[in-house]
Amino acid sequence: MVLSQHAVDDPNLPLRGVRVADFGWIGVGSYTTKLLADHGAEVTKIETSTYLDSLRNAAPFKDGIKGINRSGYFAERNANKRSLTLNLKHPSARSLALRLIAGSDVVANNFTPGTMERLGLGYEDVCQVRPDIIYISMSMHGSDGPESRQSGYGLTVAAASALYYLSGTPGREPSGSGTNYPDHIPSPCHAAFAVLAALRHRSRTGRGQRIDLAETESTIALIGPAVLDFTVNGCVQIRSGNKVKGAAPSGVYPCLGEDRWIAITIVDDESWRALLDELGSPEALTSAAFASSVSRQDHEDELNRLIASRTRGRDAYDLMERLQARGVAAGVVQTAEDLIVRDCQLKHRNHWIWLDHPEMGRSIYSAQPIRLGPRPQETLRKPAPLLGQHTREVCADLLGLGESEVDQLINDGVLI
Amino acid sequence: MELSRAKAGPPQDRGVALEGIRVLEVAGTFGAYAGRLFAGLGADVVLVEPPCGATARTAGPFVGDAPAPENSLTFAYLHAGKRSVTLDLENPEGQQVFRRLAAAMDVIIEGEPAGVMASRHLGYEDLSAAHPSLVYTSITPFGQTGPCVGYQATDLVLLALGGLLYLGGYPDSEPVRVYGDQAILAADQYAAVGTMLSILGAEANGRGRHVDVAAQECVAMAIENAAQYFELEGHVRRRVPPRPEAGRGVYECRDGYIHMMAVPRGVGAARYWQPMVQMLIDGGSEGAEELLKPQWLTAEWTATEEAKAAFDEVFMPFAMRHTKAQLYEAAQEYHFPLCPLSTPADLLQSPQLKHRDYFIDVPHPASGRSLKMPGAPFKLDATPWRVQRPAPMLGEHNREIYPPFGFSLDEVEDLAAKGVI
Repeated sequence: MVLSQHAVDDPNLPLRGVRVADFGWIGVGSYTTKLLADHGAEVTKIETSTYLDSLRNAAPFKDGIKGINRSGYFAERNANKRSLTLNLKHPSARSLALRLIAGSDVVANNFTPGTMERLGLGYEDVCQVRPDIIYISMSMHGSDGPESRQSGYGLTVAAASALYYLSGTPGREPSGSGTNYPDHIPSPCHAAFAVLAALRHRSRTGRGQRIDLAETESTIALIGPAVLDFTVNGCVQIRSGNKVKGAAPSGVYPCLGEDRWIAITIVDDESWRALLDELGSPEALTSAAFASSVSRQDHEDELNRLIASRTRGRDAYDLMERLQARGVAAGVVQTAEDLIVRDCQLKHRNHWIWLDHPEMGRSIYSAQPIRLGPRPQETLRKPAPLLGQHTREVCADLLGLGESEVDQLINDGVLI
Repeated sequence: MELSRAKAGPPQDRGVALEGIRVLEVAGTFGAYAGRLFAGLGADVVLVEPPCGATARTAGPFVGDAPAPENSLTFAYLHAGKRSVTLDLENPEGQQVFRRLAAAMDVIIEGEPAGVMASRHLGYEDLSAAHPSLVYTSITPFGQTGPCVGYQATDLVLLALGGLLYLGGYPDSEPVRVYGDQAILAADQYAAVGTMLSILGAEANGRGRHVDVAAQECVAMAIENAAQYFELEGHVRRRVPPRPEAGRGVYECRDGYIHMMAVPRGVGAARYWQPMVQMLIDGGSEGAEELLKPQWLTAEWTATEEAKAAFDEVFMPFAMRHTKAQLYEAAQEYHFPLCPLSTPADLLQSPQLKHRDYFIDVPHPASGRSLKMPGAPFKLDATPWRVQRPAPMLGEHNREIYPPFGFSLDEVEDLAAKGVI
């Protein structure tokens, strides 16, 4: 689906009329405000050419050619926003930032704690111009405490949260998720939920508030049972690979082709028999040793080797479809290419959207995975902004500055 | 500019952000964590369990490793702060009861397979006609419609089809999943956001929504830049080794593992190589000066097996002499990203999490114990997270919840006797 760059905002978007002054950059900050922007919030991304959002310099780039307006990583996280360049280290910048904030409902940042305060844009400063502001700070460890000044990435958040340690094959080093996972789902979803709850509180009481999100804390919240296993039973869980308690077998098996795999989880005896049928009921697998779920779990490694020997020659998609037809939970381990080119369910949901970007041309974006029916809205409306693309527009719309004032501020190194 | 106009400082009220919001959560694979977020900010969340109990009650670990419906720690965690009623949704009389409850609710969260609630006449269309402001959130593996809507799915299968599984594990073996039902939890988190968005709309204009959440699509949000790599550069991202290049990845140390990111490329990392090497030099590591040569600032060199081996020769003896806590402390002193791979036990020892009062104690009436668990996932100044009550016992609140809906206590007994509740 291709949308025009200037598609009219759907009046049904739930955050229409909510203004966000977005000081976010790199990971969690940008994804959080993207979630808000996609649902209608008017997000102004405040950035500067004097110290770039490093995602602008992060691969992949359109046609592999590096450029600050060509990063797909940046684009994905910043669609639907306007870009205002403002050099916050310039002495004249602060009053402009505060003027923008005075007209905003939400201020978001994910700098190392203390940075906004040093810029004169801490919560107390902001309350002077906008007492009912909703002010969210996102950082690795939260805004206070002995480790609060330590910065990190999604990978380090996963490490500090035990999620990394718990993921991987037993006997090997932990493998984590292979991505900066906390930056992509746990932290932005928790942050957005908190902002929305605060918006509700404000609409009922007229009061804003400060929100402090520690990425470690929202990530640990997702492994509660492992924490409880330790605090209650003294048990420190170990890595279990693709095995799942109560399901046997549960694993990832090779298929025909290079690095092709299928994930299968057998949850009961009925689906076990269905799997056997599909694999041609080889004698080795029909043996009594594997008849019950308990015995299958006891011999899971051997079982997995035998299953792998039967899946190796099969086409992954064909096998998935046949197993699904028999009611077995099976799924091809899809690559990004598969998700875009092949997956008919994501196609059905219009998950991938191509927008026309001024420098990158027609390029891919992902829609939020929630549809707010009964008449879902067009959530992706504008491609990611060029650096400073909307500086003049924002200055006119939100800051009330005339052309000549803007020229002067650019010359003075403020609006850069 | 009107900067001086406003005066008031930060507000100090200790309010309840989601006060007055009534949520009916149909117990199932999906929805538990979404309901937990609502309960934590003060919504009244009622869990509807089948008379035999939610399947989460059978999920380990268990208090004292003793499986029993009131002993599941997974249940105790996910359902803390909620109330429980039992209700058989397969039974027509049970469906009538559900309709009566739903009429007074602001939100329904359900994760039944697509079409099941409608077949019980409890779908969005059935309930919203008489209750237009109702927010009705459906969480399923693949969404409400589409070619794969009938597929069977588990967390592992959703991670596979959503593209995250392919990126996890080791290049020399099969892909390996991220720990802990993250596909299900991702769907629940997005469901909470979608529900909250819809509540804002419903409270503003009286129009509810049907929120359709697909877990597979939620997982696809976690593939980082892999879609763009394919589209823009024609490159299919794969899983990477534990140490993709010298100075980046998981390293063993004296008492466990650390993760380090001191490489000359990637997101803002160039400035970290020098301080890391300085730490090694100051620590008297043999050969550390070698690492100051300019070649170490090029990815062409650091990604080679030769470079990795040369780095390990200097770094590993140093690492094996130190604990993860010591290395972490040193990295903070030298200002580069290095972090212990904390175990669940380490979390409880963390001075940072202690300072933040992160862990909370929640009573567990069935055992008389107190359960220490993660607390607020975010801190809201004016409307703090609270766990008002422990996870409910099965049907604990039948006699409290049903009577205000016009069921006398006798009728409640009668429904129980018939197995409806």
